Amino acid sequence: MLLLKMAFRNIFRQKRRTILTGLSMMVGFVLAVIFIGWSDGAYNNIIKTFTGDRLGHIQIHKKTYLERPSLYKTIDNLSRINEILHQIKEVQSWTPRLFSAGLVSVGEKSAGVQIIGIDPEKETMTTHFDKKVIEGHSFSPSPSHGAIVGKGLAEILDAKIDDEIVIISQAADGSIANDLYTIIGILSSGNDVSDRISFYLHLKDAQELLVLDGRIHEIAVSVDKLSHVSRVTKLIESNLDDPELEVEPWQVFAKSFYQAMQADKQGMWIMLVIIVAIVAVGVLNTVLMSVLERRREYGLLKAVGTKPREIIKLVLLEVTILAVLSILLGTVLGLGANSFLSTHGIKFGQGFTYGGMTFDTMYSEVNTRSLLIPAVTVLLSSTLVSLYPSFKAARTEPAKTMRMQ
Amino acid sequence: MLTKKGGSMKNPLTGFISPLIFGTFLLFSPFPRYQEASQAKDIVAKVDELYRADTSSALVEMDIITPHWQRTLKMNVWSEGKDNTFIRILEPKKEQGIATLRIKNEMWNYLPKTNKVMKIPPSMMMSSWMGSDFTNDDLVKEFTFLESYHFEMITIDNPEKGVLYIKCTPKEGLPIVWGYITVAVQEKDYMPLWQKYYDEKGNLIREMIFKEIKTFGKRDIPTVLELIPKNKEGNKTVLRYLEAQFDLQLERGIFTLRNLRKRL
Amino acid sequence: MMWFDLKLAWRNILRNKRRTIIAGLAIGVGLAAMIFTDALMIGMKDNMIKSATESFLGEGQIHRQGFRLTQEVEKTINNLEWIVAHLEKEEALERFTLRTATFGMITSPANVSSVMLYGIRPSTEKYLSQIDDVIEKGDYFKGDGEREIVIGSDLAELLEVGIGDRTVITVTQAYSGDLVQEMFRVSGIYRFNVKEMDTGMAFVRLSKAQKMLGIGKDVHEIALKFKDIRFASKKGNLFWAEYRLHDNEAVSWIELMPQLQAMLGMFWISLLVMGIILFGIVAFGIVNTLFMSLYERMFEFGVIRAIGTRPSGVRRLILFEAGALSVLSIALGIIVGFIITLIFVKVGIDYRGIEIAGTSIHEMLYPVIHIQQYFIYPISVFVFTLLIGLYPATVASKMQISGALRKSL
Repeated sequence: MLLLKMAFRNIFRQKRRTILTGLSMMVGFVLAVIFIGWSDGAYNNIIKTFTGDRLGHIQIHKKTYLERPSLYKTIDNLSRINEILHQIKEVQSWTPRLFSAGLVSVGEKSAGVQIIGIDPEKETMTTHFDKKVIEGHSFSPSPSHGAIVGKGLAEILDAKIDDEIVIISQAADGSIANDLYTIIGILSSGNDVSDRISFYLHLKDAQELLVLDGRIHEIAVSVDKLSHVSRVTKLIESNLDDPELEVEPWQVFAKSFYQAMQADKQGMWIMLVIIVAIVAVGVLNTVLMSVLERRREYGLLKAVGTKPREIIKLVLLEVTILAVLSILLGTVLGLGANSFLSTHGIKFGQGFTYGGMTFDTMYSEVNTRSLLIPAVTVLLSSTLVSLYPSFKAARTEPAKTMRMQ
Repeated sequence: MLTKKGGSMKNPLTGFISPLIFGTFLLFSPFPRYQEASQAKDIVAKVDELYRADTSSALVEMDIITPHWQRTLKMNVWSEGKDNTFIRILEPKKEQGIATLRIKNEMWNYLPKTNKVMKIPPSMMMSSWMGSDFTNDDLVKEFTFLESYHFEMITIDNPEKGVLYIKCTPKEGLPIVWGYITVAVQEKDYMPLWQKYYDEKGNLIREMIFKEIKTFGKRDIPTVLELIPKNKEGNKTVLRYLEAQFDLQLERGIFTLRNLRKRL
Repeated sequence: MMWFDLKLAWRNILRNKRRTIIAGLAIGVGLAAMIFTDALMIGMKDNMIKSATESFLGEGQIHRQGFRLTQEVEKTINNLEWIVAHLEKEEALERFTLRTATFGMITSPANVSSVMLYGIRPSTEKYLSQIDDVIEKGDYFKGDGEREIVIGSDLAELLEVGIGDRTVITVTQAYSGDLVQEMFRVSGIYRFNVKEMDTGMAFVRLSKAQKMLGIGKDVHEIALKFKDIRFASKKGNLFWAEYRLHDNEAVSWIELMPQLQAMLGMFWISLLVMGIILFGIVAFGIVNTLFMSLYERMFEFGVIRAIGTRPSGVRRLILFEAGALSVLSIALGIIVGFIITLIFVKVGIDYRGIEIAGTSIHEMLYPVIHIQQYFIYPISVFVFTLLIGLYPATVASKMQISGALRKSL
């Protein structure tokens, strides 16, 4: 107890040294916090942009639909799924989709397409569909026999807004599905390859065309935070409790993208290790110096009878208290910075456009590990580094140290 | 980066056009005559001849059975040589009036519901013969059954009385997927009874059964063709010739775009 | 007088070894970290581009104008001979390969599917695509049979075929529009673990494809690989304009894969900020170190003042010490940074094992050494250290002598 009081007194007595040492701990801590918050935020930003923006974070299908798509593998109990999704608070929005293949024709030109039936309001909420329509306009809430074609498809067909477009396909009852629509919009999703074959219809129109009333192939779900994806996936699966359906996170249905991102993650890990090392060295440096130069003091303490063990404890206590104080203060600053950056972000240059959205800001993220890793680093490195000098201080002859400068 | 949904890009008329065209082709396409010594080839040639005609006109019914649905289509089919074909659907009501015209390598569909004529792009034309119970061998130019295979008489286990069996093995290098095909014909009149298609490992992949021989004009032909794929559960296609005429004088203008649009 | 101060500065530095070593280490390690991280960042960017382009696309492609959109079989590259002749002499180009690309159908006894049929030249193709590296069964055109076809594992499953089995390819011939069919035997099955590639592609020999399509010696696509991965994206690059003649187009991966460009952009921005933070940490480390090592010697400086050194002399001495310290640290930092970077350049950072089992190939991560890393960062550290040293130097020069002598930290 006495040691603790002494430790505190020592700390506040030597203002300059305390400040310098504490500052090095705190600044290293804060910068590490911002670094992790930023790199995590950036990583998740990129993923959100390229998956959540189009595919969704989680998808629900009939079992085996992903490996072997088929018109007949439909999800039929939509209302029940809606209810379940509604109850999960991390789910931000979800949207149903219908797929098929067909042949369209505008005037003399024809092309093979992928028919995509969407719910305009839900799709906009989940993937900003309306922002991707670069010409014309998106669907109105109720079906009106309008069609939206991908940019490349419009080029191949030489089609413009208000052109009539015919489609022929096979309906689910085996009959020949064919109908006439008016092109109301042209879409650019950012993925040129899919824009060459994308043919969007209002879900109800698509269901009518393909004789699939009340049935869909896919539900795309958007989640509030990327880190919640795996938990929410399991949650949906268990709540649904339907062996006929499968619930998959983006890592599964966007596998090639996931693999690409994995590569980047490893790179960021290395940078994290470097940052941690530098912070540790910085803390090491200042703590070492400040402890070493006080050897005379410790010599004095020994001279008045303090046991070596207690000297060690004293040194360690001082450093630990200082570290904890710096961490606490640093947490306030670091959290503050990360919160600010996660809501306001950093604007860069003129940005670029992708999938109808303009990206010119990157956001940070507030999470546990951005506080935990730096805290552990600072604490560990300061404690470890003070062990050596503390032992040395405890062992030396009082007379010797007191004769030192 | 993204998976394509909705299955492969098939021409939607797959479900009925391709078995139809195949059947038509089978019945009415002109094969060259062949003088050959072997009995096997003779028999096959006879079967071939059954289906040779310069022009034809027929009323046809087709049952398509899949695990998901069953339909029966009724249509008129006209053909001239091996280049021109015209099909108009009469039943069911939903598809009534849909017509398809093929001239050499070009193909058009007419859809009365939208009153539009769609040209099928060459890539889709290939696919139009896909996906059904039939393969895409039908539409290629130099296809000749007699020239593409070696023929030999064979015996099978449990042969039926009065039936001859022939094994047809494709000549190497030709674009044929089958390992071999066995044909069963009636000994007395060489009428085909069935054809079985095997892959190279000897698995039976599909079977075509010929039934109900009738006389149309001067010919006796099996009027019911059943095609049963052995590797797909619950699929079957049955082609039924209700009426047929061969080598007749066809009206002018059948194989024209204008004819496509003609309302019944 | 200055010479003396310099000597004194060095002697001071070397006298208190522990202090110098600690301080020097902090600064040196910081510099080494900056050098290595810079190399790493460049390597990461290269890696991303490499991964995306190496599997099949290539770093650039040449086509007839409009081919990419419609994929008409007649749209073959114009002036092929001229282009090939020039490409062979192109300094910046490492490899290129010719391809035909057509939409077609593949049939087996069991099933049928649409495919993108590529006619390739295996000897040159293997440098531009990784199909030969991911062959699961059979081989990659080992013989010289014309009827060999290599398909993806998913497609093989759909068609229910294995090595040696028959398939028939149907394509539309150029100009006549006739359908052409040819029989091929599956000679190789690959697995990329990327669905589109494992289901939608089939490869045959270039000459065979050309014959089938009736396009003589023409091709649809030339895929390019440059000696320097950064060549394709270099600004002011005249390469593309050179081959964009006669109604052809020459595009880099930037236009072929705009998504990659977008991803890279976002990635680079985030890396930049991280680099700045890193620099901040190092800078602060320098500040801290310098202040501590100088402040504790205030007594010493007081003594020097007491024996008559002028204020400006003290300032100069301190600055020289700071400079000397930084020179030592920089030397250490450069050596350590270089060695570490070099190690990883040779060995690479391998994270392939951490991937999900059976994934497609991933590139090893190699940091990239750039001469400017060894100029810009060291010089910045030196200048920075001097600037920081100005503060305590000024304080020491201005202080009251008696105050300093009484001071003890």
